[in-house]
Amino acid sequence: MTQQIELSGVNKYYGAYHALKDIELSIPKGAFVALVGPSGCGKSTLLRSLAGLETISSGDLMIAGERMNDVPPRRRDLAMVFQSYALYPHMTVEQNLTYSLKIRGVKKAEAKKAAADVAAITGLSDLLHRYPRELSGGQRQRVAMSRAIIRHPKAFLFDEPLSNLDAALRVHMRKEIRALHDRLGATSVYVTHDQVEAMTMADHVVIMRSGVIEQQGPPLELYDRPANRFVAGFIGSPAMNFIPAKSGRDGKSLVLDLPGSQVLDLDLGLPPGHAVLVGIRPEHLAIAAQDMPGFEVPIATIESTGATTFVTTATAPEIVLVLNSRSTLAAGAMIRLTFAPENVHLFDAKTEKRLATKP
Amino acid sequence: MRRIFASVRDGRGFDIMLVGVPFTFLFALAGLPLIYNILMSFQEVDMFSLGSFIRPFVGFDNYVALFKQPETIPILTNTVVFVVGSIAGQFLLGFGLALFFWTNFPGASWLRGLFLVSWVMPGLVVGAIWNWILSGDFGVLNFFLRESGLIDGNIFWRSDPDFSLWAVVIANIWLGTSFNMILLSVGLSAIPGDLYEAAEMDGANAWQRFWTITLPMMRSTIGAIISLGLIFTLQQFDLFAAITDGGPNNSSNVAQYWAWDLSFRQYDFGRGATISVIMTVFVMFAAAVYVRSTRHEVRG
Ligand SMILES: Nc1ncnc2c1ncn2[C@@H]1O[C@H](COP(=O)(O)OP(=O)(O)OP(=O)(O)O)[C@@H](O)[C@H]1O
Ligand SMILES: [Mg+2]
Repeated sequence: MTQQIELSGVNKYYGAYHALKDIELSIPKGAFVALVGPSGCGKSTLLRSLAGLETISSGDLMIAGERMNDVPPRRRDLAMVFQSYALYPHMTVEQNLTYSLKIRGVKKAEAKKAAADVAAITGLSDLLHRYPRELSGGQRQRVAMSRAIIRHPKAFLFDEPLSNLDAALRVHMRKEIRALHDRLGATSVYVTHDQVEAMTMADHVVIMRSGVIEQQGPPLELYDRPANRFVAGFIGSPAMNFIPAKSGRDGKSLVLDLPGSQVLDLDLGLPPGHAVLVGIRPEHLAIAAQDMPGFEVPIATIESTGATTFVTTATAPEIVLVLNSRSTLAAGAMIRLTFAPENVHLFDAKTEKRLATKP
Repeated sequence: MRRIFASVRDGRGFDIMLVGVPFTFLFALAGLPLIYNILMSFQEVDMFSLGSFIRPFVGFDNYVALFKQPETIPILTNTVVFVVGSIAGQFLLGFGLALFFWTNFPGASWLRGLFLVSWVMPGLVVGAIWNWILSGDFGVLNFFLRESGLIDGNIFWRSDPDFSLWAVVIANIWLGTSFNMILLSVGLSAIPGDLYEAAEMDGANAWQRFWTITLPMMRSTIGAIISLGLIFTLQQFDLFAAITDGGPNNSSNVAQYWAWDLSFRQYDFGRGATISVIMTVFVMFAAAVYVRSTRHEVRG
C-alpha cells in the first residue's frame, strides 16, 4: 500500500529545545490519523512541520512518495484547518473559498461553481456573500473546512479545529468531519488534546509526550494494550487506576499496597519483591456480591450523573470505579471490589513499561 | 443653585458638562477663529481697521482679486506638487521601512525607535539641518550626487527656481517618513500571522500574499495615513521659513506660506484670510476622508 505521508527519523529543534524526537510515522492513503497528547507535547509542531510552516532539523518527510523537507508550503498541496480558522476577514465566504483557486489561475466562473458545490456539501449555500465577522463560530468552522475541501489536496491537516465550539456542536462536528473524510476519500491528520475525539474519529491514534511518540495504533489496541503507564493513563475516561504492588515470595502472586496487604493471585514469573504498578480501568471494577472474594475498601465519595455512578474509595492511592446503575451506597461504607484478571494491566514500577501477563 | 448641583449629582447635568466643556473649548479656540477668518475673507481689512469687527463688506472681491493675481496659479500648483510629492515620498519610504522592520531581524525594534528622532525634532531645526545638507557649495547632498556621478556641477538647491520647491519636499519627506513608518508598522503588526500561513497553504507566494492579504488589510490604515499626511503637509510652514522663504521669486511658495506672507508681511489680511478659507475647505475634505476610513475598519 502506498504511504501518503511518511516520516522517518524526524527531529525538530527550536534553538536548544528538542521539540520532536525521532518521529517515525506512516500514514496510508485514505487514513484518518489523530495526534493526541498533553499540552506542549509537540502535536502542533509535528503538524506544522508536515505543512511546511516549520522546517524540520533532520530526518525525511515524504508526501506521496516525494521528499518534501525543503519544499515550501505552497508546493506541498496540503490543506490546513487552523484552530483560529484564519479566515480572510476582508473577503466574503465565497472569496475565502475561491482564494486558492484564484491563486492557481482557475477561471472565475469555474471557481464560483466549485464554491457553490462545496457550500452545498457543508451547508453554507445561503452564507456565500457574508463576511466572516457576520458568521457564528460553527459557521466559521464550516468555512474553514470548506476552504480546505475545495482544493482536493493530498491530505487535510487539522489543528484542534473544534476547540472553539461548545460541547454539543463539537460532538456533532466530529461525526460530520469523519463523514466528510470518508465521502471525499481523503487522507487526514487531526491534532487534538481530547482523547475521546481521537478515539472516536481516527483509524490510527498517535500518542505523544514531550516530543516523543509514546505509542501508535488503532484506538482499541491502545485501549486494550497500552505500552506504558503514560498511555494507559491518557486513554480512557475516567483514567485508569494504578495500585503499587510487589511480587510475592513465590513470584506467583502480587501483594497490593493497600490496607490489609491484599493479595492478587497472578502467575507472572517475576523475581520475588519486584515493584510493579497494577492498572485497572474504572469500568472494569465491580462491587462483589455477598460471600464472593474481593478487596475490602472504604468509600470516600459517590457521584452520579444519572446513567452512571462514580465511586471513589478512601484509600491511598484512591481508586475510582464506574457503575452503570444507581447505587444506594453511602460515603464511609465498606465495599468489596472485584475484577476479571484478564482486565489487569501490569507495568514495571521503575521503567513504567508494560509487563507481559500470562493469558 | 441647589438645583444645578442636584442635576450634576443625578447624572444628567454631569453628562451635559462632559459634552459642554470640550465643546466650549473647541468653539473658543478653533471655532471662533475659523468663523472670524471666514468673515475676514469677505471684508476689506487693512492695518487701520484691524481692531474692529465692523468693516466694509466686499462680497467675493477678495476671491476675485486673488485669482487675478499672476502668482496665484503657480503658487496653487506648487502647493499641489508639494502635497502630492511629500505624501507620496513619505508614504512609499515609510511603507518600505515598515515592511523592512517587519521582517524582525535582531535589533529591529530599537532601530525603528531611533527613526522617531526625525519626528520629535522641531521643523525649524530640521530646516536648519537641511540648509546645510542642501547647501550649493559645501552641502553633503551635492557631494554624494557628484561622487556617484549623477551630476557634473553643483545644484543650488535653495536658490535655483527649478529645485527650490523640491528642496523643501525632500526635507519634508525626511520629516514625515518616520511617522508614516510607525503608523504603518502598527497596521502591519495588527494583521494576524495565521492569515499569512493560511494564504501560504493556499498556494500564494510572497508577492501574492502582499497584494491579497497585506494591502487589503491595511486599507483603513493607509487611508488614515494619507489623509493625515494631507493635513500635515498643508500645515507645513517651518521648513519654508527655514529653507527657502518661498523664493526665489515664489518658485517654492505654497498656499499656507503665502497666506502668512500676505497677512503678516504685506498686511493684506483680507487676501490672507481668503487663502486660508480655500485651504480649510481642502483640509475639511481630507478630514472627512480620514473619519470615513477609520470607520471602515475591516478586522475580525
Ligand atoms: N516558535 C517556537 N520557539 C520555541 N519553542 C517553541 C516554538 N513553538 C513551540 N515551541 C515549544 O515546542 C513545544 C511543543 O509545542 P506545540 O505547539 O507543538 O505543542 P502542542 O502539543 O500543540 O500543545 P497544545 O496542545 O497546547 O497546542 C512546546 O514546549 C513549545 O514551548
Ligand atoms: Mg497546539
